[in-house]
Amino acid sequence: MASPAAELESRAVESSSRWAEFRAWITQPGVLCSTPVLLLLLIGFLAPLLVVVGYSLMPPRTFDFGHVPTLENFISIVNESYYRSFLWAFGLACITVVLLLIICYPLAYGMAKLFGHWAHLLTLLLVIPLFVSENIRLFGWVLFLIKRGVLLGALESWFGIGADSMLYSVPAIVLGLVYVYLPFTLFPVMLGISMVPRDVTEAARDLGASRWQVFREIELPLAMPGILIGAMLTFVLSLGSLAESKILGGQAVIMIADDIETAFTFGQNWPLGSALSVLLILLVGSLVLYVLRRLDLDEILGRR
Amino acid sequence: MKFNRRRFLKASCATAAAFTAPGFLAHTAHAAREKELNILCWEGYNSDEVLDPFRKSTGAKVQAESGTSDPDMINKLRAGEINVWDVINVNQPWAREQMYPEGLIKALPRDKFEPYMENMMEAFKPPYKWALSHDGKDLIGMTQRFGPFNFVVNTDKISRETAEDEGFDLFNEASNAGKFGILTYDNWNIYHMCVGAGVDPFKKHTDAEIDAFEQTARKWFKGAKLLTDDLVQMNLALINGEIDLYCTGGTYTASPARFDGATNIRGITPARGPMDGKGGIVWVEVTSVVNNPQVSPLAEEFLHYVQQPEACHAVAFSEGTYNPITQMADSKVFSQFTKEELDAIQWDTLEEELSRAVDYNINPDYDRMDVIYNAAKREA
Repeated sequence: MASPAAELESRAVESSSRWAEFRAWITQPGVLCSTPVLLLLLIGFLAPLLVVVGYSLMPPRTFDFGHVPTLENFISIVNESYYRSFLWAFGLACITVVLLLIICYPLAYGMAKLFGHWAHLLTLLLVIPLFVSENIRLFGWVLFLIKRGVLLGALESWFGIGADSMLYSVPAIVLGLVYVYLPFTLFPVMLGISMVPRDVTEAARDLGASRWQVFREIELPLAMPGILIGAMLTFVLSLGSLAESKILGGQAVIMIADDIETAFTFGQNWPLGSALSVLLILLVGSLVLYVLRRLDLDEILGRR
Repeated sequence: MKFNRRRFLKASCATAAAFTAPGFLAHTAHAAREKELNILCWEGYNSDEVLDPFRKSTGAKVQAESGTSDPDMINKLRAGEINVWDVINVNQPWAREQMYPEGLIKALPRDKFEPYMENMMEAFKPPYKWALSHDGKDLIGMTQRFGPFNFVVNTDKISRETAEDEGFDLFNEASNAGKFGILTYDNWNIYHMCVGAGVDPFKKHTDAEIDAFEQTARKWFKGAKLLTDDLVQMNLALINGEIDLYCTGGTYTASPARFDGATNIRGITPARGPMDGKGGIVWVEVTSVVNNPQVSPLAEEFLHYVQQPEACHAVAFSEGTYNPITQMADSKVFSQFTKEELDAIQWDTLEEELSRAVDYNINPDYDRMDVIYNAAKREA
């Protein structure tokens, strides 16, 4: 056993070596260069989140932090029917992701492997609408689908078919979500598919693999990081979406983002809105962390 | 998110407000505010038609932001932005019942402003209750825009007479389920659902009355074909035949459609109802000077400016929605309006509608009803 003096000395050496390590770390050019951005993120990103968390612990309908923290808001969320809004948001987000993967995989495959120069044109066609506000694009759909609008009006006047309105329903919301978030699934999936080396699929075919086997055992696993990122991006965005259910769905169902907006505006209950936001952030955050743990970003970005 | 000019202005103002927030402003001398004015208002007062001539004549930097509801704007002052804003424009009860007693707004010089009130429409001449403090001594704001706010019908489907006669019962009738929309201005919806349940919204309610409100709220949300907080979308659905009527609406929401030529879209004030026999509600905006410790001297000047005939017309017919104003009794103001404009704001029946409406007021059970309302909306 070491004497107390020796122990003290070894502790001092240890702490000074830790300090030296920290100094070496902090004086790295990379760390120094990223300090301004890190500070900005800390102030601009983390601080508002902390304010939201702080408000979620304040009594309902208060507007400052000078109160004893309480879990009242979370309790009322559990007691009220907010689970419906969470379930609708999660359900619609899942349906959107599944539909988009079915639509985007073949399209992305074509763009990555088959279309050649045409892929650029297609990319452009998909990207250009992103410059137009989402609400305006959705309102375009309203004019297309509304009674006596472009579609139903034409059907009625040309063929005498008087169809019922297609708006203000759950399928209309799904249409909006699929339409708006298509590029967010398509491009990551395309990236994933383009990462599959042609040699590998050719080798598999040479060794007698069927098309299905090549797809299932070679292409799908190798493209999985892109597919997962696309799916995750779409899922998170759909979960927080508001415009689709409001504009196309006529609020046929209330999604969680709508409840949060109501609490902050007409409800004037900032603590309740904050508590709903914190729950949503926790749910989405844990999901994203779970998926990211299964992914190697360096590999996707081709750094290894 | 919609990114139109109003939202852009709103975002810019919010950013500007953040930078002029208490910490920054504390060091600003009063003199430095002689050339700036911050207005918290319902949309319209923040339009360039209204503000540009004032900016030009004063050379001041004028910024205006609109809110989603009266409490939304008032809570901004309560949350510490009393140092930011100079003028606040909200509906009639708030100045007298809450903002003045809480010291959020200050009194106006009566000798300077009451002469304007003498020229207003009969119902708004002094002593006008909502422009005065409780003891009747202080003038706390000036009225301008107003409008009956109840429900809107397509008169090709439901005649004005039928609508006025049946009132909010139209939304209770099973045969109208799937034929109406709800414009989700939550606070107004709550008042109208009370009226639909045969309950006066502006008094303390018994449990039985709250139950009646809940049943009506659930029935209306179940029967509604469309919910939206966008009046353009709602009018479009009404014009295209998706719906025959919508509730929470009036001159304010019907006027843009009427001004575009759809004169079959009409705001309705029910002939009778549970509010001392009356079935309609009317809102009147009261514009006050904020009790800002370093209030801009332009605040009062702005209140004078919006009483001038051209400015009155600009306020009534600024972008978005069109509304009657209390100054229309003055012939110099009235002559600013064209026949089409008068038709858009239903001038022909305005006085009659006013006589059938009670003043918008504070609902003492709002918080309780708001929880029920939102649950009914989610669970429909």
